[in-house]
Amino acid sequence: MNPFQSFLDKLHDTFIVDDRWTYLTNGLKITLIVTFFAALLGIVLGFLIAIVRSTYAKTGKLRILNFLAKLYLTVIRGTPVLVQLMIIYFVIFASFNVSKIFVAIMAFGLNSAAYVAEIVRSGIMSIDNGQFEAGASLGLNYPKTMIHIILPQALRNILPALANEFIVLLKETSVAGNIALNDLTKGGDIIRSATYEAFLPLIAVALIYLAMVMILSRLVALLERRLAKSDLR
Amino acid sequence: MMNLKKSLSLLSAALLLGASLTACGVPANTVHSADDLSGKTIACQLGTTGYIFAGDIAGATVEGYNKGADAIQALTQGKADAVIIDSEPAKVFVSKNPKLTILDDPFATEEYAIAYKKGNDELGEKLDNALTELKNDGTLDEIVSHWVGDNADQVSYTSTATDFPNGQLVMATNAAFPPYESTSGGKVVGIDADMMQAVCDKLGMELVIEDMEFDSIIAAVDSGKADVGVAGMTVTPEREKNVSFTQGYATTTQVIVVRAD
Repeated sequence: MNPFQSFLDKLHDTFIVDDRWTYLTNGLKITLIVTFFAALLGIVLGFLIAIVRSTYAKTGKLRILNFLAKLYLTVIRGTPVLVQLMIIYFVIFASFNVSKIFVAIMAFGLNSAAYVAEIVRSGIMSIDNGQFEAGASLGLNYPKTMIHIILPQALRNILPALANEFIVLLKETSVAGNIALNDLTKGGDIIRSATYEAFLPLIAVALIYLAMVMILSRLVALLERRLAKSDLR
Repeated sequence: MMNLKKSLSLLSAALLLGASLTACGVPANTVHSADDLSGKTIACQLGTTGYIFAGDIAGATVEGYNKGADAIQALTQGKADAVIIDSEPAKVFVSKNPKLTILDDPFATEEYAIAYKKGNDELGEKLDNALTELKNDGTLDEIVSHWVGDNADQVSYTSTATDFPNGQLVMATNAAFPPYESTSGGKVVGIDADMMQAVCDKLGMELVIEDMEFDSIIAAVDSGKADVGVAGMTVTPEREKNVSFTQGYATTTQVIVVRAD
């Protein structure tokens, strides 16, 4: 048998037999769902935490919230996401039969929020204090200054770092297989455990992740260019 | 300093709350025989024969965990209705968890064997000869008696060899499968580890154990990362496409583990 024929046979065995390719497509669907909602949760919670932290730094208000936020950051950033995922599944939801997708979204979303929070805070702190004073002199109160003047400028500065965080998040969801959630990586593992062939399933999974990250990077690049337009005026 | 105290007390309060929640609300057992399995959620270890059997059950949802212990944990917490797993590990898990029980009707009977790289017939023959010797002189039975049964004292086989003229033998295993292999004191122990130590003594080789995910073992042997795969591994046609097997060294059954009524 020539090598090309044996490669074709392996390809057939890995993806076509028993419709094994569906493990990858279904897994991709789950990976995308988990990543999307985890990113959403991460953004919302992350922005809230960042605003609490920077408000405390700028005005000294929200002392207790700031303390809680700091505690949250310490715990989340101080423990691996796989351990957090297992804790949420086997400890926090020990006696509830909750959907695994929900558990994964919670774990990765809560984890991502901590990193988003620090990125956003760095963005807010990078805006010159004069901008706050300008807001005040226009008669805007603190929340309005934050929403209309500070955050839009901060967002533009932190966009590359945020995009990086979501790329990391997308790839980090690959540990979700540990709670028997059939995500993309697990899909490859299931094929691997049926064919005992490591090369094709792993390469296929890697290529799909790579394609997703490249699309994500491209979208962010477009967004960055759009946001940079105001610089050119 | 004040902050540290506050954080610690908050953290411990959260842990207490979590611990008190873990005890309640597990649904009652609904699986009383193999016929009840259809339509149920079955937890298995990915890549095991139990996982393959479960996949053949009509209407059942099969969940593949990376470790047998995680599948058992999911069953205990009501996340799955049953676990299909090899009988000996099932006994160990059930003995450690009184809330679980093994159903009387067993699944298929099967044989464990040592996997080695296809084409490496020289090693295969040596392994086969060593296994035959160990079976004939009673060493294998003695090893098993330390791990299985009422008098199991879990004492590991001790190697007498001090020099290894024939180099190392790398054994790939998944140490979450007692009594065949588990981790104790940072070492992989159990029937498979002891048996391979005895085999290595016969071959004049030094045993090196690599602990990895079960579904990676065959790939490790196939790619030469490990010389042998010894992990309570059943001979199946699919596996035989990628690796060769020695003669069987143990006969076991697949059983169904459920929550006790």
